[in-house]
Amino acid sequence: MIIAGGIDVGSSTVKAAVVRTDNAGNDELLGSHVERLRRRDPRHVIDSVWSVAKQQAGLTSDQIEYVASTGDGELVEFRRGHFYSMTTHARGAKFLVPETTLILDAGALHARCIHIDARAKPLGYRMTSQCASGSGQFLENIARYLGVALDEVGPLSLESRNPEVCSSICAVLSETDVINMVSRGIATSDILKGIHLSMAGRFARLVRNLASEGMLTFTGGLAADVGLLQATREELEKAGVNIPVASHPQSILAGAIGAGLWGAFRHEKLLARAS
Amino acid sequence: MTRTCQEIAAYSERLYYDLEFGSCKAWKEDGGGHCVGYMPVYAPREVIHAAGAMPVGIVGAGDWLEVIRGDAYYQSYLCHIPRSTVDLAVTGRLEFLDGMLFPSTCDVIRNLSGMWQMLRPETYSRYVDVPQNFDPEIGGRFWEHELRELARELGEVTGTEVTDARLRASIKLFDENRAVVNEMYALRRDQPHRAPTSEVYLVLRAGNVVDVETHTALVREYIDTAKATDRPDMDNSRVVIVGTFCEQPPLGLIKSIERSGCFVVDDDMLLVSRWFTADPAPDGDPFGALARAFVDHTVPTAVMYSPTSGRGKALVERVRRARAEGVIFAAPSFCVPALLDQPMLVAELDREGIPYTAFKYSENTGQFGPIREQTGTFADTMKLWSAA
Repeated sequence: MIIAGGIDVGSSTVKAAVVRTDNAGNDELLGSHVERLRRRDPRHVIDSVWSVAKQQAGLTSDQIEYVASTGDGELVEFRRGHFYSMTTHARGAKFLVPETTLILDAGALHARCIHIDARAKPLGYRMTSQCASGSGQFLENIARYLGVALDEVGPLSLESRNPEVCSSICAVLSETDVINMVSRGIATSDILKGIHLSMAGRFARLVRNLASEGMLTFTGGLAADVGLLQATREELEKAGVNIPVASHPQSILAGAIGAGLWGAFRHEKLLARAS
Repeated sequence: MTRTCQEIAAYSERLYYDLEFGSCKAWKEDGGGHCVGYMPVYAPREVIHAAGAMPVGIVGAGDWLEVIRGDAYYQSYLCHIPRSTVDLAVTGRLEFLDGMLFPSTCDVIRNLSGMWQMLRPETYSRYVDVPQNFDPEIGGRFWEHELRELARELGEVTGTEVTDARLRASIKLFDENRAVVNEMYALRRDQPHRAPTSEVYLVLRAGNVVDVETHTALVREYIDTAKATDRPDMDNSRVVIVGTFCEQPPLGLIKSIERSGCFVVDDDMLLVSRWFTADPAPDGDPFGALARAFVDHTVPTAVMYSPTSGRGKALVERVRRARAEGVIFAAPSFCVPALLDQPMLVAELDREGIPYTAFKYSENTGQFGPIREQTGTFADTMKLWSAA
C-alpha cells in the first residue's frame, strides 16, 4: 500500500487529503481538511491545511511517499509532482462515486464538465466561458446581496414555488436582475431558485455537448449546494438528457483526493522504472 | 558578493523588459563604440564584433509595448514581431543602432528590411542572404563572399577594418560564449529542477543586449550558482519546445508551461546563441572557417533547407538526447516556416511514437489559461497513461 497526499489550491479555498491505496482499486481516505483563503497568504493556508490533514491521518511528512498538488500548485513548495485539475477531479470523483462517467467541477471562478473513461482518464471536456455567471463567486455575491449565509442557499432554493427567471449570459446582468427582484418584493427562495436555474441551464448545455448517458457527479465548492443539484436535474430533464446527478459530502475534496491517488499511482510507476 | 539564481534572473529580467535598450546605450557611452542590430534567426555576430560593434539582438517588443503604428505597416494575417519592431523604430527606441541586419528568415523579415531602408535611409542596413545550399564549393563560397562584403561594409560604418586577426579573436569569444550556453543547456537537460527554463531563457536573452564577454561571464555565474543551489527535484514531464526560433514566446507562456507540470529540457529559442554544432576552425582564413562552419555545422531549423525528413529525424534525435517524453509545438501565429515545418516533424514523431501537442502564440499573448490547460493535460497524459 502507498500513502500519498494531495493539495488542491483553488482561488477561494485550499483542500488537502491523505490517501492510502494499492493502486488496484482499494483506496482509502485517511485524513482531509479544507480552509478558505480569506485574503490570507496562500502559503500559510497551505501549511495549515496540510498539517491538519496529516494530523487527522495520524501521519508525519516522512511517512507520506508522494505529495501532489493541483490547481495553483506552484504555491505548494514541498510537492513532488503536479497534476492538472481536470485529471485530479476525474480521479477524485471516481473515488467518491465509482459509477461516475461525467464530472461537473463547479468552483469559485468557472464550471467545467469532464467526460471520463473507466480509468478516470478524461476523454473530453466543456467549460463555461470567461463570464462569471456560472461560478461559485457569482453565487456568493448574490447570497451576500440577499443577506443569506452560503449554507442556507441550497435549502432555501428548494422551498421555491415560483422561481424568477434571470439572465444566464452575464453575471452583471444577473446581478441587476436580482436587484430589481428585491425591489419588486420577490421572495428570496424564488430569487435563489431563479439563479440556480440560470446556472443549471449553462451546466446542462455543457453536459449535453459531451454525453447523453452515464452518471454525473458534482465536485468543487458548489457540490454541497442541494438547490443547485436539484436545479441541474430539472434543467437536464428539460434538455432531454436522462443522466442521474450525484454529489458526495466530500465532493469539495475531489481535486485533493484525486491528486493524492494519482500521486500514489505515479510513485509506484517511478519505483518500477527505477528497479 | 555572490548573487543567487533568482537575483541573476531578476537582473536579466530587467534587461528583458528594457525597451529603451539602456544596457546598449550605456555600453556606447562608456566608449564601447557602435551597436549593430540583427533580427532572428541567424546573423554572423562574429563579423559585427570584429568590426568594433556590439551585436544587438532585436526580437520585437514582446508583451510590454502596445503596438499602434506598427500595425499600419503589415496585414493582419502576418506574425507580430515585424509590427512591434517597426513600432520600436518609429518611436525612436532604436535610434542608437548604427546598423541593422535582416537575415533571410522569411518573406516578412525580408519585407521588413525594405521598410527599414525607407524608414531609416540614413542608417546602414543589409538583407543578409544566408545560403540554402550546403555544398562547400557552392553555398560555402557564396557565404564566404557575403561575409567579406558584410565585413567591408560594417568596417565603413564603424571605421574599424575587419582584419583576419580581429575576426579570429571575435570567433574565439563567440566560441566561448556558445560553449557556456551549451553547458547551461546541458545543466537544464540533466538537472532541470536546478535550472528552470524561466531563468535559463532570461539569462540567454540577456545576450541580446550585453557585450559577449559580459554575457559569457553572466552565463558562467548562473551555471555555477545553479549547480550549488539546492532546489527540490520534481516529478515533471520532460518536453522539448519546437517552433520558437524567431518571434519569442512571452515569459508568462514559458512560466505557464513549467507550472503545468513540465520540465523544458530542450528548445529552439534564440538559436543564434548556439547556431554552430561545432566550432569554426581556429586556424587559417577566418572568413573561410565561418563559412565552412555554416555549411557543415548548422543546427537544423525550419529556416534552413534540408532534404525531406532530415529535420524530422534531427528532432527525434534531439528528443532522445534530451531524454524527453514529448514535444510541444509552439509556433507564433502566422509563422510560415514553423507552421509549414510542423507536418513533416509530426509525421516523424508519429513514426517513432513520440507524443506531442501544438498551439500558437504571439509575442504579446496575455491569456495563458488555455495553453496551461493544454500543456497540463499533455503532461498528465505522459505521466499517467504513457507506456514508459
